[in-house]
Amino acid sequence: MIATIAAETFQALDPAIMEFPFERNYVESIVYVSLYVSLTAVALSTMVSLPIAMLVGFAEFPGKRFVIALVNTGMGLPSVVVGLAVLFLVSNQGPLGTLDLVFTKEAMIISQFVLATPVITGVSLAAVTGVEEGVRDAAYAMGGTRLDIALVTIKEARYGIVTGVLAGLGRAISEVGSVLIVGGNIAGADGTAITRTLTTAIQLEARQGRFELALVLGAILLTLVLFVNAVVLRFGGGRI
Amino acid sequence: MSGRLARADQRSLNDGIAVSNLSHGFDDAGVLEDVSLSVESGEILAVIGPSGTGKTTLLELLAAFYRPDDGTVRIDGTDIWTLSERDRLATRRRLGMVFQEANLFDATVRRNVSYGLHVRRGWRERLREWRSRLFGGSRTPAVTEALEAVGLGGAENQAVASLSGGEAQRVAFARALAYDPDFLLLDEPTSDLDPRNTAVIEEAVETARSRGLGVVVATHDMHQAERLADRVAVLIEGRLIEVGPAERVFTDPDDPRAQRFIDGELVYSAGENDD
Amino acid sequence: MHRREFVAALASGGAVAVAGCSDTDENVEVGIVGETLTLTTTTSTYDTGLVDEVDAAFEDRYGVTVEAVSQGTGAALESARRGDSDVVLVHARSLEDEFLREGYGVNRRDLMFNDFVIVGPEGDPAGIDGMESVTDAFAAIAESESVFVSRGDSSGTHTKELAIWEDTESDPGGDWYREAGSGMGQVLTQADQSGAYTLADRGTFISMRSELSIGIRVQGPIEGGPALLANPYGIAAVNPAVHETVNYDLALAYIGFLTSREGQELIESYSVDGEQLFFPEALSEDPNFQQYVPEGWRPEEE
Repeated sequence: MIATIAAETFQALDPAIMEFPFERNYVESIVYVSLYVSLTAVALSTMVSLPIAMLVGFAEFPGKRFVIALVNTGMGLPSVVVGLAVLFLVSNQGPLGTLDLVFTKEAMIISQFVLATPVITGVSLAAVTGVEEGVRDAAYAMGGTRLDIALVTIKEARYGIVTGVLAGLGRAISEVGSVLIVGGNIAGADGTAITRTLTTAIQLEARQGRFELALVLGAILLTLVLFVNAVVLRFGGGRI
Repeated sequence: MSGRLARADQRSLNDGIAVSNLSHGFDDAGVLEDVSLSVESGEILAVIGPSGTGKTTLLELLAAFYRPDDGTVRIDGTDIWTLSERDRLATRRRLGMVFQEANLFDATVRRNVSYGLHVRRGWRERLREWRSRLFGGSRTPAVTEALEAVGLGGAENQAVASLSGGEAQRVAFARALAYDPDFLLLDEPTSDLDPRNTAVIEEAVETARSRGLGVVVATHDMHQAERLADRVAVLIEGRLIEVGPAERVFTDPDDPRAQRFIDGELVYSAGENDD
Repeated sequence: MHRREFVAALASGGAVAVAGCSDTDENVEVGIVGETLTLTTTTSTYDTGLVDEVDAAFEDRYGVTVEAVSQGTGAALESARRGDSDVVLVHARSLEDEFLREGYGVNRRDLMFNDFVIVGPEGDPAGIDGMESVTDAFAAIAESESVFVSRGDSSGTHTKELAIWEDTESDPGGDWYREAGSGMGQVLTQADQSGAYTLADRGTFISMRSELSIGIRVQGPIEGGPALLANPYGIAAVNPAVHETVNYDLALAYIGFLTSREGQELIESYSVDGEQLFFPEALSEDPNFQQYVPEGWRPEEE
């Protein structure tokens, strides 16, 4: 597991830390929560963002400029604000109260979905509109339907789209404001994280003044993000 | 899938392709003005004229890229804009097109050339195809033959980025051939190529004609038109001023402007001169 | 049945009913097994680690899960108001009273206490060292206009501080009164650097003592100081009449557990670095009716 690798790396690198300051179970569980929430949110967001990017890039419809403005504004949404908005939605006295989502990982996925989608949409939009018109014409000339042409465009823009997805993932996995509010930073009495992510755990250590421990968790988070980036880029052929 | 080797008289586009009274403009500027011409299976029509004269627009209208402002476009006798979208799709799938730029997809040669076949498959077949590609993939005879026709038989697994400009255009040509169209629309296909690549493509065009395909080739290269065409249409400033058998148009055209063009006196808007 | 026994049974309602059923079994066969209790509490309470400790024992006993959410005092009560939590544990009596008055909370119990201290610079410009009256000490600070740093964040500490100011009948304001809007650790650091006074909970002060030059000027009741500086913790269940979906049975079992001998012993024995942090308060032979209602409430009020 990544957490174990990171832990052992730390031990090797810093002899001052005689033993890893956290229990393995604890670290593994918060890594799991971080990954589960952010990866799911980004996956769902990508499925929605690509069609939106294609629509905005290539279709004409009333209010198109409004949608573009919305996407650009959305990239700068403060995470706390999104967290509050989602809390109002899923709170017991909110419209989705019957779904029992408050203080769950699923609510966290919702808020991170909202944070990641504008980023992925915006970058993908730039990528797909950057595809040469001649290539799209060629796909049409060879008998492609609108859907075929859309798929060709997405494939041609894949490197840009991957960049967008990674940017969205970065935004999601390192934010603390929204998951803290909708998730509640809950860890069981035995130390297993329920809605505690790496970022909210870092925040917890920091508010208690345990800055070194906070930094250790921060290093784990960075290692994780690096690892995911490397995997995705290798997958995509390694070309930026 | 053996349509490519079908005999010329088994071609199904009995009525060829034709435009009547075609007019079209962009941004209040007229590009084509009342153009009428037709092409039969098994013949090559060259559309010649200065750059910017509407040749590309004509071909794009033939390929059903957009609806003309005025006039009709008929494929196999039917006005394609009276058809449902689905029927029009089926009709335009009998055409193949090559552009001035290769416009290849960022993938392997094989993926490019097989694209036409790929889109004609239902989704279940595509899934099967995708699965088999994950496990090594198999060669399709249609793809191999199309590539051989342009002299690139062994290039299937090459990445498009590694091709030269001439090779890329040849792949574009193979791409249009692979799914066995009835008509080819070529928009200045060799204007960016060296003589050797030009020759390869011209040979492929003639082979296609001998197999029964009809070909419309837009070109500003008079010599190419002379080499390839059965009939020639002269398009100047959006108007068709001359159309007829190649030999007659080149040696004794009716319209003096056509004569002047052929003699090389009309200047292109792009400033490119050819003799 | 004697009134106080009845009341005690009410408060630990679930526990009594359940205790009767459990003979030899550790895990009790009641409708609450396998369920989840959501508790909201303050960050300072949670950060001591006490909550995890008692929750573990409670979870073992009943075969349930406790999800503890640490928020600010205000947020903890707000979550309870929204029905997002089943039980709330805070240490801000006036805010708890408001919570009860508004009808959101029921079955409030006193749980435990620790205390506050007034810390300030060695020079003691306000001259409050060793004073027996907290109100007088605050009045002296206001009169001498010595710098005072306030939490300013509606936390338990801030609420206590405001209550004291109200008693002095002087409105703190002006250059000498600074609202920091941050946590206890930061406020202590700020007071230290400005040579100012502040109200701090003993736990946080002790943990930072070695880095500070300011010291205790007025002690809290644990070390013999005035009782007004006591920091009592209260626990209450969310009213099931307001939110149908709260787990009321489990909330009462939790309150019952924490206010039982076992729970209170756990609280008393909980220590950090050898120091006891909390003093149990729930069990008493003498009646303490004030814990069930807002402070100062009289039956004629309505």
